Formats: sequence, structure tokens, C-alpha cells
Amino acid sequence: MATVEELGVKQKVQWCPGCGNISLLAALKGALSDLGLNRHETVVVTGIGCSGKTSHYLSTYGFESLHGRSLPVASAIKLANTDLTVIAEGGDGDGYGIGVQHFVHIMRRNYDLTYIVHDNQVYGLTTGQASPTALLGMKTKTTPWGVVEVPFNPISTAINGGATYVARGYAGDIPHLKELIKGAITHKGFALVDVFQPCVTFNYLNTYQWFQERVYKLEAANHDPKDKAAAMEKALEDSKTDYKKVPIGLFYKEERPTYEETLPQIKGKPLVRQDISNVDISMAYKDLE
Amino acid sequence: MALSIKIGAQAGAGVMVTGRSLAKCFTRGGLNVVAYPEYPSIIRGGHNSYQVVISDKPVHSPTMHSDIVVALNQDAVLFHKDSLSKGGAMVYDSRIDAAKFKPRKDILLFRLPTEELLAKSGAGARMANTVALGAALAVSGYPFDQLENVLRDEFTRKGEGVVRENIAAAKAGYDHAKANFKGFAKSVEPASDKRKIFVEGNEAVSLGAVKAGMKFYVAYPMTPASTLIHYLCENDRDFGIVVKQTEDEIAAMNYAVGANFAGVRAMTGTSGGGFALMVEAMGMAAESETPVVVTLVSRPGPGTCMPTWTEQAELRFALHAAQGEFLRVILAPGDVDECFELAWRAFNFADKYQMPVIILLDKFLGESIFSTERFDESKVRIERGKIAKGLPELAPNTRFKRYALSADGVSARPFPGEPNGMHVATSYEHDETGYSSEDFSVRKAHVDKRMAKIDTLMKEIPGPKLYGPKTADVTLVCWGSQKLPGLDSLELLSEKGITANLLHFSYMFPVNTKEVQKALSKCKKTVLLENNSTAQLAGLLKEYADVSFDFHLLKYDGRPFFPEQIADEVARLAAKGFKAKKEIRIGDEDYEYYSPQRYGL
Repeated sequence: MATVEELGVKQKVQWCPGCGNISLLAALKGALSDLGLNRHETVVVTGIGCSGKTSHYLSTYGFESLHGRSLPVASAIKLANTDLTVIAEGGDGDGYGIGVQHFVHIMRRNYDLTYIVHDNQVYGLTTGQASPTALLGMKTKTTPWGVVEVPFNPISTAINGGATYVARGYAGDIPHLKELIKGAITHKGFALVDVFQPCVTFNYLNTYQWFQERVYKLEAANHDPKDKAAAMEKALEDSKTDYKKVPIGLFYKEERPTYEETLPQIKGKPLVRQDISNVDISMAYKDLE
Repeated sequence: MALSIKIGAQAGAGVMVTGRSLAKCFTRGGLNVVAYPEYPSIIRGGHNSYQVVISDKPVHSPTMHSDIVVALNQDAVLFHKDSLSKGGAMVYDSRIDAAKFKPRKDILLFRLPTEELLAKSGAGARMANTVALGAALAVSGYPFDQLENVLRDEFTRKGEGVVRENIAAAKAGYDHAKANFKGFAKSVEPASDKRKIFVEGNEAVSLGAVKAGMKFYVAYPMTPASTLIHYLCENDRDFGIVVKQTEDEIAAMNYAVGANFAGVRAMTGTSGGGFALMVEAMGMAAESETPVVVTLVSRPGPGTCMPTWTEQAELRFALHAAQGEFLRVILAPGDVDECFELAWRAFNFADKYQMPVIILLDKFLGESIFSTERFDESKVRIERGKIAKGLPELAPNTRFKRYALSADGVSARPFPGEPNGMHVATSYEHDETGYSSEDFSVRKAHVDKRMAKIDTLMKEIPGPKLYGPKTADVTLVCWGSQKLPGLDSLELLSEKGITANLLHFSYMFPVNTKEVQKALSKCKKTVLLENNSTAQLAGLLKEYADVSFDFHLLKYDGRPFFPEQIADEVARLAAKGFKAKKEIRIGDEDYEYYSPQRYGL
């Protein structure tokens, strides 16, 4: 159990003033505090990028891994100790670009962990190149004539790919985002929370104002998150309406056994608590003789 | 009393299973056995062979020549006829016209009417291998009863019908050979009923790791490391471990680091190509001081190269993999017992020094199978190093000093879940709490901290081990798997009147300079054997111990050295009074090749 205050650290946050990450961090701290989670039983694993700093600004356990690799590191932490609350984070370049293979496969497995993607449609820490979610036509350092690749759609990919909790939040609405994160953490299975998190320094297109004019909440639109077809329809709404209507909220949720539940080896006792002082291997010799 | 049998057939014909059954018959008779499989990177078609070497004395290596060849198809007759030893026997299916390939006059041709025998015994056509298996056993002069036991154990789970059919087929082959195949001079007989195990290098590493308390194994399939994950998956519930196949090797190494961070001993395994994908995350383990163990079972490179063959060309790769400078431990076991021992030791090194440890094997040791005693578990110790527990309360908004500077460079690590141990592990340079820092003094202090581990680590690194007489005219020097043919060549050299011993390295890095210099100062002529083209160990030892060798004997055609080759080359050098070119490059092209085109077919 920790208050929002206790979840912070003395070190100063080093994001740009107005950065969406600041609001995202506030929502995450609020969620952890509301849920009454113990700091020593919570691990936040981040990739590399502006989002990667999140693990530094929390007084929980943290692992700032490599660019694109927060998911495999987090997966193993969960398999090693199922008693922990494991949260993986990364940016859109980190998770949907260099690390996309992990994203695609983790959904099939349904580990009980939460994945928060700081989605700002641009590479920030490397000073402004197009990311996989950059919209068509967006001009960046690496796309001076405008992006010609269609944007990666994490929501439809997740619904189709086997994720059991698929949500999208917006850093401009902290209370709403906090509830989505709480839902993700309490959900038993793999939960994606893609978060629109405006980059105030390198993304001149997708600004707070741009989002403010377009986002609307699924909760207010009578959307049923158990309806997979409706969820898919909502996931495609932004591109279908040429980004006039951009839904946020819980798109999809289903109950499915987690990967960990299929392993009798860890039933009742996480790997980390199993005694290794004198492992018996004698049963192995029979097959070798 | 020694014998070498080679079974050859097209890939997919079941040579591996047949060969392993044959080898088990001899192992159960208390004999020493080595089995060496060769196969192409193709599932059907191509050529497979399986050599079984049997002796009542210690034997370590496959041999260049076979005494019996069991040819299950025409290619096998063609490919192996020239590698038969003098007076050797070729057992072949009667549908093959072996004579048209003009085998040497001294070779005994044993024509096996497989179809007829199958029909007579009532076994199905897929039992052809079993008929040949029975015949091979009869030619070797060995009693039938062990084969019956082996087949029973092998096929019981498929039902009594399959067991009986197999035994009938084997007996038909055995009886036919006993009655008709005369004149083969060699034979082997059971030596004792002492039970031995018959284990491949990858299995021995797996067992050593499980014994060490490895609770998590994670990998992406890659030949010749795949039998690690196969073996561990097959036994995961018995061993009480979790085995995960990931989407790629990048994930595998990141999982292994993550599990170790969470406090669970974890390992990954791969071959060179997969290891190339793992190196960034291995560097993360080094920077974040997270223990990790990787078994690297090497094969020829670069690129995809020859996936199912062997080479020792990844010593330098293992040593330099990943950006930046950091310490690591590289262990290269020389036989299955060392595979077991170095595997459990690897986890202790990783935990105590909080760094990556690489167990470096090759296809030859990883996939060959050896008889040995049950592994020596008496020496096994579980040393987890500095683990932080029962910690005092942290001041508000502060973190545990996970990377506290210390004289030996190792700082205590709490596992997540431990109250008051909260910290960030990071791949960035960082201060004592793990907070990332680009302060010059912090950077220097933490590089020095990590490098300081070498002093205590070095005390646990033994020098090379000497086999054979203490002093000798010639010392063979080798590392890893090439100890096996090296050892078997010593006796052959002694038969040629040359006294030789063998200096073997299994602790590759860090290099214990003093021990290396001491060991080499006692040698007269030295011949370094390496299964690569650039003599990587020579370079490493020149760099770290300023020693060099008189001759480099190098083989890099996809196969290990054979004892006969080593003995021949050393004898040739001795005959020239050791006045010869330093580098000697050899291959097997003159006695065995697996390409029908070479025969104009």
C-alpha cells in the first residue's frame, strides 16, 4: 500500500514541460495507489525512449531494459514470480516498431501482466523521426515528403491477436486513463493500454488540441467490450473517419486462462520460492541407461 | 577389444534411432561407447550416418575408419566403402549391387536379404532397419539378449505388438548373419553388468543446470542446440522447471535476464546465428549486473553455413559479443562429465559475480553420445553470491543501493518482492541506486567496480589440465571437445613410438596467465589442435599469456579431428625432425565424401 506521494522518488522528472508522459505517470501512480499494491511487489519494466524513464520515477522495483524489449523481460519476471504485479511500458517505436514481434506473440500467451504504450506517433528521444503509428502525410526528419506507410493499428492488432483486455487512453484525461490502467492491472491476463500521449516537442500534428477535438469515450457511446465484432469496428473507426472520430476507453475484454495457469510446475509456489539447495535428478538416469 | 560400426542411410530412414539402440546394447554390457551422428540439414533425402565406437578400454572419440558398415541404401555403400578398415565388413541390403562400386579386395561383403527376412519374421517393411541392427550385432560377435531388452524399453509405450515385431525382425537379421556372414576377425563381448549412462553433451549440460537449480530454460530452436530444449521439455514436470520457446533469440535472452533479475536461475541456449541475436541483451545483463547463463553450441559459420556440422570458431565471438567492455566467463567442457560439472559451476559464477557466463560447446560434443558413470554430484554446491534480505526501512522516496560500490565489485541484490529492496536495474550507466547517470565520476567508478570482479573471480579459474605422462616429446594442446580425439590419439602415437601428452583448456576466459605459463613451460614440442581455420586459442593465449605453439594443426571442414589423423600428422612432423611449416591444415576429402557427383553418379 502506498500513497501517490510515496510512489515517487526524489529525482526530478526530466520530461519536457507539458509532455504527455507526466500525466501518464500521474495516472499510473494513482492507479497503483488506488489498488493498494505493495511497492516491493510491483515491478515496472520499461524499454528505451522517453517512456523508458517511467521506471526511474517510481519507488517500486524497476527494470529499464533495452529498446523494444520490455515485454520479454517482463514476461520472464512474471513466470519467475507469479506473486508480483508486473507492468511493462514502452513507446510506440519501442513496442510497435523494433519490438513488435514480442507484442504479437505475448498476446497469444495471455500472461497476466499489463502493457502500457506511450503512443505519441513520433520518436522523441532520438529527436523526431516517424514512428509506426505516425499518420499518413506526417512530415518528420526521416519523412521530409510525408509518411507514405499506413499507420500501425495497435488496437485492431490486439483484438485480432488474442489480447484479453484492449484499451486506449488519453494523457489529456488523467481520471479516465487511471481507471483504464486499474482495469488493466486487475484484469487476469494480458492487458494493453495504448495511451495517446502528445509529444509537445517533436509532433506538431497530433497536439493536445488535435486530440481534444477528436477523442470521445466508448463508455459514453454504449459500447459493449465483450462484443468482439463491435470492438473491431470501433478499432477501425479513426482511420475510417479520416481521424474525425477517435474513440478512447475499453474496446475489448474477454476471460481466458492465463499462460501461468497451464503450468502445474508453479501451482501454489512460484519458481522463485522453490527450494534449489539439493535438486533430485535421479529420475533422469533411468532413461539414459 | 575395440570395434567401430557405422550405419548409413538416407535422411529420414531412422538411422539415429537404430544407431542409438545399437549403442545402448554395448553400453548395457558394461563397455565404453561413443556414438557420433552425421546428418545434413534436410529432413528427407540427403545422407545420414551414425558411428558407434566400442571398447573395453576408455574410448572418447569417433574414428576415421569403421570396422563394420551397415549400408541401408546404395549411397551408404558408396560413401563409406573407402573408410572401412582393413578386413572390414560391409553389411548391405541385397537389393543393392555393391560389387559394381568395386570395393577393396580385403572388404567382406555381407549381403542381407532384408525383404525375405522381414516376410519370414512377420514384421512390417518399416522394420528393415531393425533387421540390419540384428545383423550388425551378430557380425560384431555380441550376444542377442541386450538387443531384446533395448528394443523392449524403446517400444513398450507403442504396445506389445510393436515390441514383438521389432524383436522378431532383429532376431531374423541376427540369425541370418550368424549362419551366413563368416570371416570377420574382430569381435566384442559384454565386459560387466555394471550399468552406465549413455548421454549426449547437450543432455549433460541440461542435467548439470537442473542440478544447479535452474528453474527456467528459454530458447528458440536452432541446430545443434535444439536437443537442449527437447530434453528439458520432455522432462519439465519431473524436473519441476518451466521451459519456454520464444518468438526468437532476442526474446530468449531477454527472458533469461528477466528471470534472473526476479531471482530464478535461468538459462538460454542457441547456436552462433541465434547468439548473434542475443548479444545486445547479454550486454544488458552485464551493464545491469544481472546473472545469466547461455549455452552456445557452435556450428560452422558465418551465415547459415553448414547447420548440422561442427566447428570451434566461436571462441572469439563469445569473448567479444556485445558492445562495450565487460567481464564474462567462458567455459568449454571437453567431455560429458565436464558438461555436467561446468554447467552447475556456470550458475555459481553467474550468481556470485553477477555477470554473463557462456558454456561453449559445439555440435560434435553437444550431439554425440557417450557412455559414462552417473554424474558426480558430491561436489555440487549452490552458491548464490550476495543476496540482500531482511533490509532496513528505506527513507521516503529513496531506493536501495543495488549498485553500492564495494572492494570486490559485487554488490548485494534483492529479488523483487523483498521489502525495502526497491531499485531500478538498468542497461544505462547508473549510480548506486540504479538511477541513470552521465556523470563522469559515476561512469568511471562503476566501470572500475564491474571490472574489479576479476580479482576474486580469477582465484576460481584453474589453468589447463594435463593428460598422459608428465613429460613427453610432444604435447598436444586443445580446448573444448577436441580433448576427445586428442586423448584417443595419445595411444596411437605411443604405438608409433612417440611419447605424447595432452594439455586441455576448459576454462577459456578469463585466462589464468600464471597457470598457463607454468603449464607450457614444461612442454617440449607443442602442437595446437583447433577445429577452426584461424587458431583462435593461439591468438587468445598470445594476448593474455604471451605464449605460442610450435605447430597449429587446423581442421575446419565441418568435422571434428579423428584420432588417426592427429597421430598421422604428429608422426609426420616427428619424422621430419619437427622441421616443418607452422600451420598444418587438414580435411577428410581423401577418404570419405558424401557427394554422389564425386563418383560420377
